[in-house]
Amino acid sequence: MRDVLLIAKREYLEQVKGRAFKVTTILIPAVFAGLIAVMVFAGKNSGAGKHIAVAAESPALAGVVRDQLLADKDARMVVDVIAPADAAAKADLIAKVNGKEIDGFLWIETPAGGAAKAEWESRSSGDFVTEGRLTDAVNHALVQQRLAERGISAGQVETLTKRIDLTTMRIEKGKETVSNALNTFWAAYAMAFLLMFTVIFYGMNVGRSVIQEKTSRIFEVMLATVKPSDMLAGKLIGIGAVGLTQLAIWGAAGALFASTALAEKLLAGEFTISISGIDIALFAVYFLLGYALYSTLFAGLAATCDTEQELQQYAPLAAVPAWLSFGLITYIVSNPNSVWSVAISLFPPCAPITMFLRMASQFPPAWQIWASVGLMAVSVYVVLWFSSRVYRVGILMYGKRATLPEMLRWLRYS
Amino acid sequence: MAAVVELDCVSKVYEQKIAVKDLSLRIEAGTMFGLLGPNGAGKTSSIRMMVGITMPDSGTVSLLGKPFARESLRRVGYLPEERGLYKKMKVMEQLVFMGQLRGLDPATAGKRAHAWCERLQILEAVDKKTEELSKGMQQKIQFISTLLHEPELIIMDEPFSGLDPVNATLLQDTLIDLKNQGRAILFSTHRMDQVEKLCDAICLVNRGRAVLAGGMREVKSRYERNHVQMSFEGDNSFLQHPAIAEYKDYAGLVEIRLKPHADAQDLLREASRKATVWKFEVMEPSLEEIFIQTVGEKIDA
Repeated sequence: MRDVLLIAKREYLEQVKGRAFKVTTILIPAVFAGLIAVMVFAGKNSGAGKHIAVAAESPALAGVVRDQLLADKDARMVVDVIAPADAAAKADLIAKVNGKEIDGFLWIETPAGGAAKAEWESRSSGDFVTEGRLTDAVNHALVQQRLAERGISAGQVETLTKRIDLTTMRIEKGKETVSNALNTFWAAYAMAFLLMFTVIFYGMNVGRSVIQEKTSRIFEVMLATVKPSDMLAGKLIGIGAVGLTQLAIWGAAGALFASTALAEKLLAGEFTISISGIDIALFAVYFLLGYALYSTLFAGLAATCDTEQELQQYAPLAAVPAWLSFGLITYIVSNPNSVWSVAISLFPPCAPITMFLRMASQFPPAWQIWASVGLMAVSVYVVLWFSSRVYRVGILMYGKRATLPEMLRWLRYS
Repeated sequence: MAAVVELDCVSKVYEQKIAVKDLSLRIEAGTMFGLLGPNGAGKTSSIRMMVGITMPDSGTVSLLGKPFARESLRRVGYLPEERGLYKKMKVMEQLVFMGQLRGLDPATAGKRAHAWCERLQILEAVDKKTEELSKGMQQKIQFISTLLHEPELIIMDEPFSGLDPVNATLLQDTLIDLKNQGRAILFSTHRMDQVEKLCDAICLVNRGRAVLAGGMREVKSRYERNHVQMSFEGDNSFLQHPAIAEYKDYAGLVEIRLKPHADAQDLLREASRKATVWKFEVMEPSLEEIFIQTVGEKIDA
């Protein structure tokens, strides 16, 4: 045990002091924050700042449409009203669009007794955000106008057509809690991504470290005093501790950031992510199990390779479960209790990611969590049995990469 | 006296290849033992079984007078041929780590490492990362890490390869000191001149079997003094003398191998009649010749 701890400590210190650890600790949250900032910025600014014209026969209708559009502060639109509009006005507007004086115009026709018609004419198509805003505004205005035509007072019209937004509630243990579907999704996505990233990153890290020891030919020196199983155990513990350290740094930095005034301003109510103690505990459990699974797998495989390039050929073993889990992300979040969601969250290579996605939308029954943890523990044991034997033989073998039949033969004489 | 290490009829087979077959040898305290043999003869395989990296298929290994046990490895120092160090670690950290793995506490390991670095003249390197050092320096660090825990059995696979003559001599002298302190030292090498100079006993392995073993003097005495080295000036027709099996003429210096039981004195008389002889020395064959002869015969067989 003393040897295991010494090796773990050496591995831990070497990695924590290394440049890669410092770079990833700072860079990864920075990249994350940058991506989120870009996404939020792009979302707020898409279709914003446009200069358009609204053309209708009825000045009142055009005015209401304009007021509707200006009410949306995010859009920051400049809206001209052309009313009453005729064919000459239309030709003039087309010329203006063509001459890039305005971005486009909304042409509304309300023939008496016929169906109303609205056209949006611009140089580009595919601006869904602007189209959505315009559709909302025209419909809202038409409803108001029709109600007014039927003799309903302006005040009543306002009350009748007032728009409401859905409030999503989540029922947990028989009690209602306010939940924001989108925020839940983002929280799940972030935690699952972080989990997958760290599990696979540190799993591969173990593989790389084994290759490095193999190429630096340190094994023969070490094995003259230390058992191979102690070396493997020390390495897994040491690198696992590095992973936990990094997660703890991110966690602490995140908590610290969330308590600052800046965060309050930025997240301003609409972006509250609540993470409970159970979430954190399960995150740690799934990190450790997922890490154990991938790292033992890669330690065994690395022992059969001579170079990192050869090890890269095994990377799909980690990438495919990750893709699979992320490909199913919307399905799992919207159908957390379907047979497929349950099945994939029990499947060990995908469990850490998919179980977290399910937890976010609805907390799964306890037995399913226990079952997935149990299945993972069993598969860790099986992979460890296989890997430690391959490892024992492989680390002293140089030359070409071992084939599967060779590895199976190694199982016998180790 | 109990042997420090003893192999008794040890065999090891990898898949189809026989690595070691019925090998027996013993090394006593205070001796230097040379394990010789061509590439792939089974030297490294034998050593790996002594230090528990692999287990023999049959036969027994005894370490320090007891059947092999992992605890005994704390008293063994092993420098493999394929050398490895943690490249990113600083020299002193590395030495202390290695010392700790072999049971030392950090303070003792540090103190001894410092003393050794001083002795081997690499004190200025202790705070550098291993990857920044020259190959020769790295080799010295490995050498130190092998000796830090004052092992009773020191096993070195090709310890002098890649060292310049000054450093090779430095390490050689260190090994002789250790031997005189009563440690048992086993080393394998291809350099027969070093073996001849340093070793008290040898074992020559070929194709996994011991083909020649025993004390250095005893092994050599099994071979006839049938080698002549001479230098002369003048007529060289005496080289056709019937006692000569073969000769090599290196411009004035001739190396002669005599036929079995030939009379060297008669050759000397013949030579002095025809030429001026400056030097005429009858020698036992060098270890190198014994090596080539023994291994070569086996390959022919």
